[in-house]
Amino acid sequence: MREKDLGDYIIIADKINKTFPNGVCALRDFSIKVRRSEVLVIIGPSGSGKSTFLRCLNGLEEIDSGSITVDGIPLNENRENRLEIRKEVGMVFQLFNLFPHLTVLENVNLAQILVRKKTRKEATETSMELLRKVGIPEKARTFPNHLSGGQQQRVAIARALAMMPKVMLFDEATSALDPEMIGEVLDVMKTLAREGMTMVVVTHEMGFAREVSDWMVFMEDGRIVEEGKPEEMFLSPKEGRTKLFLSQIL
Amino acid sequence: MRKPSPLIDVLIFLCVLAGATWFVADGTTRLGYNWQWYRVPQYIFTYHEGRFTSGPLLEGLKVTLQITGASFVLAFTIGLITALCRLSDSVMARTLARGYLELIRNTPLLVQLFFIYFVLAPILDLNRFFSAVLALSLFEGAYASEIFRAGIVSIHKGQWEAAHSLGLSTVDTYRRIILPQAFRRILPPLTGQGVSLVKDSALVSTIAVYDLTMRGQEIIAETYLAFELWFTIAAIYLLVTVTLSVVANMMENRFKVAT
Repeated sequence: MREKDLGDYIIIADKINKTFPNGVCALRDFSIKVRRSEVLVIIGPSGSGKSTFLRCLNGLEEIDSGSITVDGIPLNENRENRLEIRKEVGMVFQLFNLFPHLTVLENVNLAQILVRKKTRKEATETSMELLRKVGIPEKARTFPNHLSGGQQQRVAIARALAMMPKVMLFDEATSALDPEMIGEVLDVMKTLAREGMTMVVVTHEMGFAREVSDWMVFMEDGRIVEEGKPEEMFLSPKEGRTKLFLSQIL
Repeated sequence: MRKPSPLIDVLIFLCVLAGATWFVADGTTRLGYNWQWYRVPQYIFTYHEGRFTSGPLLEGLKVTLQITGASFVLAFTIGLITALCRLSDSVMARTLARGYLELIRNTPLLVQLFFIYFVLAPILDLNRFFSAVLALSLFEGAYASEIFRAGIVSIHKGQWEAAHSLGLSTVDTYRRIILPQAFRRILPPLTGQGVSLVKDSALVSTIAVYDLTMRGQEIIAETYLAFELWFTIAAIYLLVTVTLSVVANMMENRFKVAT
């Protein structure tokens, strides 16, 4: 096992339930805790509730019951709390969701200026540093639709990092990419993990999961089927369902 | 199938044009109408010893443009606010917006204009010009709001989610993310609404606002140049609306380059 100092619990989700208006039950009494600097990877078949859980963590979906606490702040109807949590939780989407009418630099600057109240100059400094980090400083003045999928996703990561979040959520960040671009995005994610960023990652990239995750969760039907350290999960899964899923995907 | 040569197209067009001209000319001859086009220009403008004086038609056009311009700004504002109300979480705001929309869309503009001029104006002490502007903006604003709503709804849900995940408030998200994108999409239908506004503004002549149409009627009453003047007035309206479309087209192309 890779040794890493994990801190106290930063995310505590306790018995959360979520049913969509169309009657689909996405989460059933789902509980999990994430420590600071931990990389949690959630795997499972589509429709198992992985993405819904991520979206609940920053209030994009409202939970029906249970409780979520992020860095000591309870996520509830209180609008201020939700805004506070969103500032501290960055999210990267499957379809990038860059703002197409803004340049790459403006995309990364925007929330720093509007939410963190930085000046344009300060924001630009941070943005350029982050764009260097994800390897595309030369595209700062370009509009997103002139970039490849991999580049767009790297900008999206820089945009989320610009808020200096304490937690990063990755919702199938590489699923919409051409195979040859998956690597460049995973590399950025690996760097983040190495630097001690707390990450919750929903992915089908088992190589990535095995290499960087501290804890893995296999989900189905809104429940945790099995959880454990990645090597245990890959080498000797306890549940038959996990075994089947892994054998199909590997 | 072989594409017909453009020459044939042009030829057919010229034939139709000649036919239409002949039809009008023949009709007016049978009526014994005495065309006096030479008397028209003085009503548009006069140019005398280096001094340019606008005639009554140009003065009327000025009023039409003032009314249209003011109404456009107001209708744009009303339309945007109504659209936002209809999309808001508040039941009250949604109901109010819906009520306004149905009221405006299901009554004739002429009746709305008379209602505002004869009922509201004396109560609220509005002048003629402002009554006209209010009636037109309330009317066009209702249609503009549907355009705005369609534009806002057409923006992908992911844009909202990305903005929210960055901690942007709803107001900031609308202002910086959703509306700038929606505006680009609705520019063509919004221009159509602007063109309607110019055309509908002719109705204000019924409450004796001295716009282009009213001025024309006035001149016709004095001179009996009905044919010439209605041709001229129609041409001026056409000039304004076509210009508007061309400008909107240019704006659209510019935005396309920018994104």
